[in-house]
Parts: sequence; structure tokens; C-alpha cells
Amino acid sequence: MFRHAMFGVLLAFCGTATVFGAELPGDSIYRLPVALVDQDGRGFSLADRGGKPQLVSMFYTSCQYVCPLIVETMKKTQRALPDADRAKLQVLLVSFDPTRDTPQRLHEVYAERHLDKSSWTLARTETPSVRKLAAVLDIQYRALANGEVNHSTALVLLDAQGRIVARTDKLGEIDPDFVAAVQSALRTR
Amino acid sequence: MRTLTLTLSALMAMTGSASALAAEPDGSNRAAGNYVHGDFGPPRGDPIKAFLTEPPKVPAPTYRNYPAKVIVELEVIEKEMPISEGVTYTFWTFGGTVPGRFIRVRQGDTVEFHLKNNPNNKMPHNIDLHGVTGPGGGAASSFTAPGHESQFTFKALNQGIYVYHCATAPVGMHVANGMYGLILIEPPEGLAPVDHEYYVMQGDFYTTGKYREKGAQPFDMEKAIDEKPTYVLFNGAEGSLTGDKALTAKTGETVRLFIGNGGPNLVSSFHVIGEIFDRVQQEGGTKIQENVQTTLIPAGGAAIVEFHTEVPGSYVLVDHSIFRAFNKGALAILKVDGPPDKSIYSGKEVDSVYLGDRSAPNLAAVTKATKAASAGTLTKEDQIKAGQQLFTGTCSVCHQVNGEGLAGVFPPLAKSDLIAADPKRPVRILLQGLTGKVTVNGKDYNSVMPPMNQLNDDEVANIVTFVLNSWNNPGGRVSADEVAKVRAEGTAAKPAEH
Amino acid sequence: MKNAALLLAVATFSAHAADYVAVHGGTFASVLPADDKAADVNIAPYRLRSEPVTNAEFLAFVTAHPQWRRTQTARVFAEQRYLAHWSDDVTLGSNAAPDQPVVQVSWFAAQAFCENEGARLPTWNEWEFAAAADATRGDARKDPAWREAMLAWYARPNQTLANIGGVPNVYGARDLQGLIWEWVDDFNALLVASDSRDQNDPDRLKFCGAGALNLRDRENYAVLMRVAMLSSLKAADTTANLGFRCAKPGN
Repeated sequence: MFRHAMFGVLLAFCGTATVFGAELPGDSIYRLPVALVDQDGRGFSLADRGGKPQLVSMFYTSCQYVCPLIVETMKKTQRALPDADRAKLQVLLVSFDPTRDTPQRLHEVYAERHLDKSSWTLARTETPSVRKLAAVLDIQYRALANGEVNHSTALVLLDAQGRIVARTDKLGEIDPDFVAAVQSALRTR
Repeated sequence: MRTLTLTLSALMAMTGSASALAAEPDGSNRAAGNYVHGDFGPPRGDPIKAFLTEPPKVPAPTYRNYPAKVIVELEVIEKEMPISEGVTYTFWTFGGTVPGRFIRVRQGDTVEFHLKNNPNNKMPHNIDLHGVTGPGGGAASSFTAPGHESQFTFKALNQGIYVYHCATAPVGMHVANGMYGLILIEPPEGLAPVDHEYYVMQGDFYTTGKYREKGAQPFDMEKAIDEKPTYVLFNGAEGSLTGDKALTAKTGETVRLFIGNGGPNLVSSFHVIGEIFDRVQQEGGTKIQENVQTTLIPAGGAAIVEFHTEVPGSYVLVDHSIFRAFNKGALAILKVDGPPDKSIYSGKEVDSVYLGDRSAPNLAAVTKATKAASAGTLTKEDQIKAGQQLFTGTCSVCHQVNGEGLAGVFPPLAKSDLIAADPKRPVRILLQGLTGKVTVNGKDYNSVMPPMNQLNDDEVANIVTFVLNSWNNPGGRVSADEVAKVRAEGTAAKPAEH
Repeated sequence: MKNAALLLAVATFSAHAADYVAVHGGTFASVLPADDKAADVNIAPYRLRSEPVTNAEFLAFVTAHPQWRRTQTARVFAEQRYLAHWSDDVTLGSNAAPDQPVVQVSWFAAQAFCENEGARLPTWNEWEFAAAADATRGDARKDPAWREAMLAWYARPNQTLANIGGVPNVYGARDLQGLIWEWVDDFNALLVASDSRDQNDPDRLKFCGAGALNLRDRENYAVLMRVAMLSSLKAADTTANLGFRCAKPGN
């Protein structure tokens, strides 16, 4: 299992990094090959999300305290946008805890939280990729012995080519500067 | 000088933007209920790049009457520098100096702070400015790895003189290595003009070697935890403010000292020998105290003292916990030149006692003797000359330059029957001290001479050789090896550290 | 042809450094407790490279994998100072001796090297466990001499980087201290509040639940400084004193 993931990573690093035919900028996180599976069991790569601005964060389903807040804050951020813009924004949440967060579990949470099918994706990836994704998003996390995960909070805004253009760690209420950045990203395609 | 200053500030006021001349908000410009004291509104005019000075210099006043955006760039540099004669230490510095560069802004300014960590450094660093209102005083936003730069912005809401220091774990070690400095946030009306402003900062230092033990000395964490400093210094090194590096002024002038205490541990009892502070902003606060002899400066604190010079001379800045001044180096000089005013003070200068072994030219003979000793060519004459310089610096305070001592207090060394009875005894006295009753040349003395632990074998040998060959004493010479033997035999009583 | 000769030369240089030594692991009192309060951590047996990766070895790696050469690597994986001390993409030059540990490498570059030899970066706990040993004991941390050796390196200003080849510890690993900082796999698990005086004041919203790390054994400031250093870094960062070695699961 470990070797497969590693082989896949090595292979993916070869060749030019492109998204929809255009060369990715040097600071695009889509250059990181990450193989994900969503709440419906569909496989996709991180780079497949390119082409539209995205809100990305990381969470895990058994998190009692902050992760529900992350979801709520992302929803609030979406609602703060004008209707026309809201439809263009994609939201991706990746789990810190691939062992417990199977696609089935993600599916349950999807229903529990009443997430909008057209814009939200919950996903999981293998353990080494979790660390790499967190590294590229500048999110810190630590798995504790009791199954909990200590982690920093970040809502990260990616532009259509996968560059990080804004981030916020404000939870509960919306961050006006961050919302402004989201709007601006959605206008410039 | 003073009239020029006034004209300049008037000029600056006139050429400021039109809004600058209008009555300045006093912090009530926010929406009702959101009053923030010290917030004079958004910055006006072009951003200003702050000019930071190396100690003991202070940047010129801002001469502004409106809030501005000030850009401060400060680089952390880890470097080895002398801490005392022949002794080096690896300091971690803000801007290459200990203390770090002096920052001067005005209340209400918006400060854009850039902290750079030189790529050659090993450690991460950050900064906590005591004048910042915000988490960690900026430390949370400025944690920087080597070869990187952090930026954060704050509004200087409170006037005063504030310490800044590194707050990276372990904080005590970063501070003990010299990572502190001062930031002055001027009151909106500015400080009253004076003739001289100087920047002095006290710090305690902890090395594994003893005081003045030669060579590169590493930091000693156990001594730091036990609060047993090896050095207590102004501006990071012995002799940093003495000899030709002394602070200067003329008679009839006003002097303002921004005096900080980086710690990490000790509180300073700051005093200027021969002067009284006319004005003290104790702890840098706004209320003025007057006519103060000695003021306390807490670790991580600062004060502003002002005084007027009347009489020429060398005024010694000390930490009046006095063993720190004479046995650990907490000593600096303000040299005042000008015509004497005998109606105020008629005595002679006190230069020679303090400057003796600290300015470079006076140590020439000592350096020559050290070279000769390592080459094996040390002559008695070399020893006598070196011993004389060392004697002037260390012994003459009590025994006087002419060896006569002080009647009833310190025994004479001149034509001493005690020395004549046993010419090697001075070696033991220097190493072990001498307490209790002793009779010299028919007179009794009952005092305490502490062991001179800061002297090494060569220094003891040279001093004793000098004494033996002066003032009708028996002559002869003592070698460093003989001193080493005596040192190994005796049980030296350690002086109490505190 | 030139590349082959170079690779051969490099292979002979680094045969010694590429050895992995076995470390038995076990229960260990880490400065970062397992449950963020006090529990010891359990470390599964692992193998650790006996030495940090050298310039020569890293040169062989980028020669064989051009996408990791200095001018080819995207900024998202390594900042602009990546391998800045080498003369060019595939030449060490006079500022980078073959047997010096490679520095100015990012976490991504280090991981890629390790994955290439079927390994990964060691975890913080694995590094810490091995570094706690000296030449004769598995856990020498109570010995002031052990702490002094670490501190002496921190206190020295930057000098020319020494070659690998330090005294082996009880597991046969060398140069875990006193030579370079080393990347670990979970460098971004060292959830320290960047103002390290906040340790007991958890900002629960910021760090989900337990708050920022409560570093146990604060007396061990020598290790504290390693945590501080690693927690100041981002994955694409490089510094002049930061290198790495690799680890594999135990047999």
C-alpha cells in the first residue's frame, strides 16, 4: 500500500504539470500529485479541481469542536457572496484521518450537514498525501493517541490555477477581508 | 543648538500637509463607543523609512505633529564579538549591536515592522515590542526562520520608552545573548529639546568561564537559571562606554539618557556618580519625579533621566548594587569638558581610578608582557611595567598609586615590613584574600581584602613583581609558575555572589 | 558518459553514509506527549540512515531526476534559495564539498529523495528517540553533558559546514546533533504557538481542541530549540543549516 502510493507520487512528478493544457504557475499547489476519493467513492486528483477558484480546508469527521465550525464558517462565507458569484465557488474539504474517514463516513457527514451537492466535496487521501497536502496548504496537524487530531485552522482560497491567494483562520464569524478576496477571485477568471 | 532645534520644528510644522495643521483628533475619531486612546486617525503623508541608530546614539526627534506610516526594518544577526578584553561571546543581535538599534516613532504612528533573519544565522527569532498592543507584542506574528523575513503592522497607541526583545524559546537564552533594545514612542507634542540624548542599556551575561577568563566563552544556562551572572554590562561589553568611547558633554548642557534594562534577570539600581537626576520618568511612565539619586529599572523595563551638567569631570554610570560595577563590569563614563566651577565643586578629576586598565593605550605594557611570556622571553622589566598598569587599574583604588594605603583602613605597601618579612606572602594574599587584624609598619589594620579571583597567574606574578620592586621593598621577582603552585595549594574562600 | 563516471564516483563516496541502522523503538518520554498531556509515546521499531544525506548523494539524485534540479523545481516545492550554494544544477562547486551534509533543501525535496530509496523522512519521535542516545546509553538526556553538546552547537556562530563522520551513538547513528538541523516527516505537527510564552494558554479555536502543544520537560531547552526551529519552517523553505536523513520501517 505504502509502496503503491509512493510509486504513484514519483511517477506523477515526472513530466510537465498542466491543467487543461495550460502550464501551471510555479506556485500552484496543483503541481502536487494527490489522489483523492470523494464521498461518493469517485476517484480524482487534486489538479482536476483546477479551472475554478476554490475554498479548501482540512478536517476530520470525529472532530467535535472546531471542524463543525469550519463547515459553518465556509457556508457563511458562501452565503456572504452575491448569488451570481456563489454559484461559481467550489468547496473542498480533505480529511486528516483517512483510516476512519472512509467514503462511506464522508457520505454520512455530507447528509448530516446538508451540504450542497453542486459545490461541496468531502474527500480522503492516503496518509503520506495528507501530510503533503497539509504542508502545501501550510496547515499544521498532529494525531493524538486517542484518535483526536490537533490541527490549525485555515480556510484557503485558491485561484483557478491553484495559487493560494488568500487565507483566514477566523472561525464562527466571517472575515470581511477574506470574503472580499473570494469575490475578487471569482470575478477574475 | 537649542534655537536651531526650535526653528526646525516650526519649519516642519509649516510644511506639513494642510490637514496636519488642523486640530488633531485625540483618539475620539472612531465611531461613538469605539474610543481608542492614542489613536490619532489613519496615517497621513508618504510612508517614512525609520532611521535606526546604533547605541549609544539616538535618532533625531520626528518633528511631526501628525500620525504617519513608519517602516521599520530590523535584521537579526548572530555574531561573535568581544565581551571583555581577550574574551569573546556569541551574541544574537538586533542589527549587529547589543543593545539592538534604537527605534523612534511618534504616538499614533502606524508602524510596518519588517523583521529579517540573516541567512547565516542558525536560530529562528521573533520580536516582542513592549510598546505594541497585540498578541505577544508582535511575537506571534514575527516568528522567522533564518533566511526569511516577517512583516506585521501595529499602531503605537501609548507614548513612552519601551523595551523590545526576542521571545523565541527558550526566551531567557535569547535575551541573555543580547536580543533586546529600546523603542521610543514620542508624546504627540515631542520631548523638550536637550543638548544630548544617549542610549544605554544594562544586561546580565552568563558564561561558563569566570569573569574575564580569556577566550571564546559559551553561554551557561545553569548560571542563568540560578541568576548568578558572570558579567553585568552596559551596552554589551566591558569598556563599551569608557575611555575614548565614553559619552561626552560640555559643562552647562542638558543630557537625557534613555536607559533600559534587558535583563534577563537583574533589576538595576541606576546611578550616575557625581550627578543628581533633575527629571526622571521612572519606568518610562508619564509622571515626572525630580531630584533623584538612584532609580530602579526593572528587568524588561526602561527609564528616561535628565540632568544638567555644571562641573567638568568623569561621571560614572553604575548599577549601584556595587559589586556589579567593580567586579562584573557595570560601569560607563560620561566625560564632561569645560571650565571648572570651583564654587560648585573644587576637587580633582576621578579619571585615573576608573580608566586605568580599560582604555587601549594604557594596556600596552600588559599586552607586551603577555606576548613575551608566551615566547619565553619575559624579563623582570616587562613584568614590572605590566604589573604597574595592572596595579593602577586594580589595586590603587585602595592602596593608592603611591602605595601609601589609607590610614587606619588599608595597609601601606610602600616599604612594608610585612612584605619584607616574607616577600612571597603578597602572592597568597592576592589569591586568598586577607581578613582580620594585621600589623604593618607598626600600625594595626583590621579590614577585609577579597581574593582577587579575576586575576590569572600571569597578572598576579606581574603585580607582585611590581610591588616588590617599588617603594623600597626588597625586590626580586615572581613567576607565573610559582603563582600556579600557590593557587593549587591554597583553599581559596569564594566571595559571596548575589 | 560523464554522468556515469560521476555516479560511480559518487557511489563509492557515499556507500558508507547510505547505511541504515536498526533502532528498536519502544516507550519513550517525548517532549511532545502522546495525548498532549503527559503520556509517553510508543515508537515502532525502525531503521534510520546512519548519516545525513550528503551533497554527493543528493547530486546523484538530481542527476537522475532532473525535475528536482535547482532550475527545474517549482516554487511551490522549494523556495528560490534551494541548493543556492551549488555552482549549478549538476555541479557542486567549491562551496559544497561532496561529504558535507546537503543543506538548502526543502521538505518536499527531502521527501522525494527518501521516497526514491524506498524510505521517508523520520518522524519527530523517531528522530528524538535516536538523538537521545549517546555513545554508550540509549537515553542520555539526564546527563548535562548531552545537553551541553547540543547547546554548544547552537551557541557557535555559523562556520563552514563540517563533513559527516561524527562519533556513532549506541545505535550506530552519527551526527544527529552538532552538525545540522534535520527535517522530519511531521515537521508541521509541532503545533507550537509562534509566541512560545503562550504554552499554557491554549487558543482552542486556533488549534482544535487541546490547544497548542504543551511541551513537557521544559528543562530540556536543547530539544525545545529544535522544536522551535522546525515549527518556524514552511515545507518549501530552505536554510543554510537544514538538511535531512531518511528512515524506513523496521524489519
